[in-house]
Amino acid sequence: MYFEVNAKQVFATTGGKPFDNSKKVVLFLAGSALDHTFWGLHTRFFAFRNYSVLCVDTPGHTNSEGPALESIEALADWVNDVVESLEIKDLSIVGHSQGCLVALEYASRYPRRLRSLSLICSGLATPVNDYLLNAASENPSAAVDMMISWGFGGAGHLHQGPIPGNSMATGGYKTMWRNSPNGLAVDLKACNDYQNGKAAAGAIACPTQVIIAGKDRMAPAKATAALVAELQDPQVARIAESGHMLPLEAPDQCRALLRDFIFSNNPAS
Amino acid sequence: MSDFLNFDTLSLHAGQIVDPVFGARAAPIYQTTSYVFPDTDTASSIFNLERGGHAYSRITNPTVGVLEQRIAALEGGAAAVCTSSGMAATFCAITAILSQGDHIVASSQMYGGNISLMKNTLPRFGITTTFVDPTDSDAFRKAIQDNTKLIYGELIGNPGLDILDLEAIAKIGDDHHIPFMVDATFNTPYLCRCFDYGANITIHSVTKWMGGHGTAIGGVVVDGGNFDWGASDKYPTITEPYAPFSGINFWEEFGPSAFATRIRAEAMRDIGPMMAPMNAFLLLQGIETLSLRMDRHLSNTAAMLEYLQGHDQVSWVSHPSLPAHSSHELAKKYLPKGAGSIVSFGVKGGRDAGKAFIENTELASHLANVGDAKTLVIHPATTTHSRIDAEALVAAGITDDMIRLSVGLEDVKDIKADFELGLRAAKRISKA
Repeated sequence: MYFEVNAKQVFATTGGKPFDNSKKVVLFLAGSALDHTFWGLHTRFFAFRNYSVLCVDTPGHTNSEGPALESIEALADWVNDVVESLEIKDLSIVGHSQGCLVALEYASRYPRRLRSLSLICSGLATPVNDYLLNAASENPSAAVDMMISWGFGGAGHLHQGPIPGNSMATGGYKTMWRNSPNGLAVDLKACNDYQNGKAAAGAIACPTQVIIAGKDRMAPAKATAALVAELQDPQVARIAESGHMLPLEAPDQCRALLRDFIFSNNPAS
Repeated sequence: MSDFLNFDTLSLHAGQIVDPVFGARAAPIYQTTSYVFPDTDTASSIFNLERGGHAYSRITNPTVGVLEQRIAALEGGAAAVCTSSGMAATFCAITAILSQGDHIVASSQMYGGNISLMKNTLPRFGITTTFVDPTDSDAFRKAIQDNTKLIYGELIGNPGLDILDLEAIAKIGDDHHIPFMVDATFNTPYLCRCFDYGANITIHSVTKWMGGHGTAIGGVVVDGGNFDWGASDKYPTITEPYAPFSGINFWEEFGPSAFATRIRAEAMRDIGPMMAPMNAFLLLQGIETLSLRMDRHLSNTAAMLEYLQGHDQVSWVSHPSLPAHSSHELAKKYLPKGAGSIVSFGVKGGRDAGKAFIENTELASHLANVGDAKTLVIHPATTTHSRIDAEALVAAGITDDMIRLSVGLEDVKDIKADFELGLRAAKRISKA
């Protein structure tokens, strides 16, 4: 669906059911240069189990009007604008990678409506090396290659995927390419600049869940351990064989973890 | 900096998860119609496209799935759907986006089945086609109408071997927001990945070089994932709610694989042209050696071109690798490894001499196929293209004396020796 936030068009998928703000809402936030399609194997599940799903394209990505927002803090404020404009009352957020940083910042700034927070494949910060940062604006093809190559574990490199016939790696590539160079370059710089993760994590009061990928080359064990250490009693799960693109690489396990956590902490009416 | 697997490695491994129960190294043949659901929630979620998984082999099958993901990987596509034949792939791909009243602009030089589909069958469903000269890219632009929803061609035309200017035609498609679908059977992704040059969808008869052994018929549609279906309201089958699946919007929910998902959700379910698991297995064995075989096809083709050009019973030889061929420059651009292993040539003495040639070769098989490991010959005017009218024959570049040669993998000395038998017989006829 399209709706307006701050006088700009925003696109979100709703998992095949009309958005209904009287229901508990699950909001999905994707990583750098990705979009709503990243969550395709999760959104319909919740939408057909009496949740209202909102899977947004952030400004300047795929179907949402630009420009892309230049900081994690600005994105967190924008998420709040979305929540306010749609008059959402009870909210669970699921973030992946950059989406986790946005979720952390949102949760620390706007805790009132938030009932649960699920963080997948992230630390407290996402430092980006200069080579990738420069490539994102100067040589986007190389940057997307690096993101996909590092992002996917073995199954992705073998073009496997949970949907028969689909190559999750190539699908991810096409989405990222569509949001390059602008979306990718701005996103990576926003990640690199973000410094408030530790303070934000420490301020979060709602139940939190951290899902870690055992073969994550973009949010390695040291980074995820730092996140776990700052959160108050998070529920932690590790999927050993997955790479960074865990919601695509291990969707059934990921969905089961999200289901148990969200059903428990923000139960649908 | 990236560490993507290369073509030959993907040919062997892409798409396959090693059998978790017995550790079978080869992709197992899942010769089953259906799959036991662990619980009702899993069953309903598979049917509702909430999760991946198999329900019924008309829609998906694990062996076929390996082949689909392997071809998608080799082609650089976001998704692939295998079908029972190449023609089934073409029909499913076209009808996924075109409906009554819609129009196609297509090359006039294509496999007879493609031409017949567009000229005879699709008009019965209200879908019309304008055929244009594939060597004139601007003709594609000029033929576009308000209701044109597809541009279609074969990269290497059959049997004239003219090469489409992929980038030029893709730009025309971009300019008019029309997807460009390429039948890439003759090139395979080893010789050209059409998506790299702007094509949006590819079709293969995997019966041919991809399988390569003449043992299984099959087709595939590959979704390039690079067409913005939502940029206009021209493609409602992709961008508007689809009632049979709870109003699913393929474009919104599946993005780069929306087109392939539409084919699977509608054509495979409602029409049912699925590939058999055994065929998928046989085709996978072929793809494992695709690059090795293609290299040999190409080297044998080069040797046969030299032989035929020097033979006094041969009136003309056509192959895009020859400088005199009108598509030579395009072949160098799009097919740098080689322009395939189909050769057209004329036998002096016309139709009767051609017939004598075919009937007197012993090693070369006279049959209606191409891309086998074995050398094949046929007379298109009386076989593969016999059901199209004289005007279309001329448009397709087919003459009475034309022999279509599909160069195989035999020792090329033996192929030449066999051709000597045929050409001597043709000479006797032409002198009589």
